Amino acid sequence: MTHFLALLLYSLLVSIVFAALSSEHQTPQARLKYVVKVFGYFVLLGLAIAWVLYPLPL
Amino acid sequence: MPSDNLTEKSPASFDPAVADELRPVVIPGSRRILVCVAALVLPGLGHLLLGKRGRALVIFLGIAAMFVLGFVMEGHLFTPVRKEWLTWFFSFLDTGIGLPYFVCLALDFGFKVEPAQAARITFEYGNTFLMVAGALNMLATMDAYDIAIGRKV
Repeated sequence: MTHFLALLLYSLLVSIVFAALSSEHQTPQARLKYVVKVFGYFVLLGLAIAWVLYPLPL
Repeated sequence: MPSDNLTEKSPASFDPAVADELRPVVIPGSRRILVCVAALVLPGLGHLLLGKRGRALVIFLGIAAMFVLGFVMEGHLFTPVRKEWLTWFFSFLDTGIGLPYFVCLALDFGFKVEPAQAARITFEYGNTFLMVAGALNMLATMDAYDIAIGRKV
């Protein structure tokens, strides 16, 4: 298990549950689009935060 | 030919099954409590009682997968420790998963931390997965309540 795989698994599972709970996306297609969108945001933001934190002596 | 407003305003691809699914249903007060308790006890059970089978399955599988992966990543469940306020917060999130937390507590499974376990790179991820699984089930419970009172479909 790597950090990146953990990020992918976390993003996927949370975005799936978010889509199931969303009130604005009622059809399966709309929910699937929402899963892809939220998953993408999670991964991109995770990588961006990792990039910003990388030079810091933590 | 008789028609209702819904039919007249709908597009050509009108699907009555989808329209039924989107119609809010209000259930009696006593049953709302049952739905909320069921949703807290086991992920997806509240939605199942409301007849939202597909959503119940997705919620159950998503949250159960997070819970299992939390242990696979060597995470552990928390119990409140006096003077360590973060353990109270983490325990609160962990208990959100409902019955599985208390089964683990009764079996004394997943609460002890070995030094080798804490040294793994996925240890904190595992803890996070377990806590987020509980938090997501709390959200699912609120969603089930909203459906039960007719605020959501």
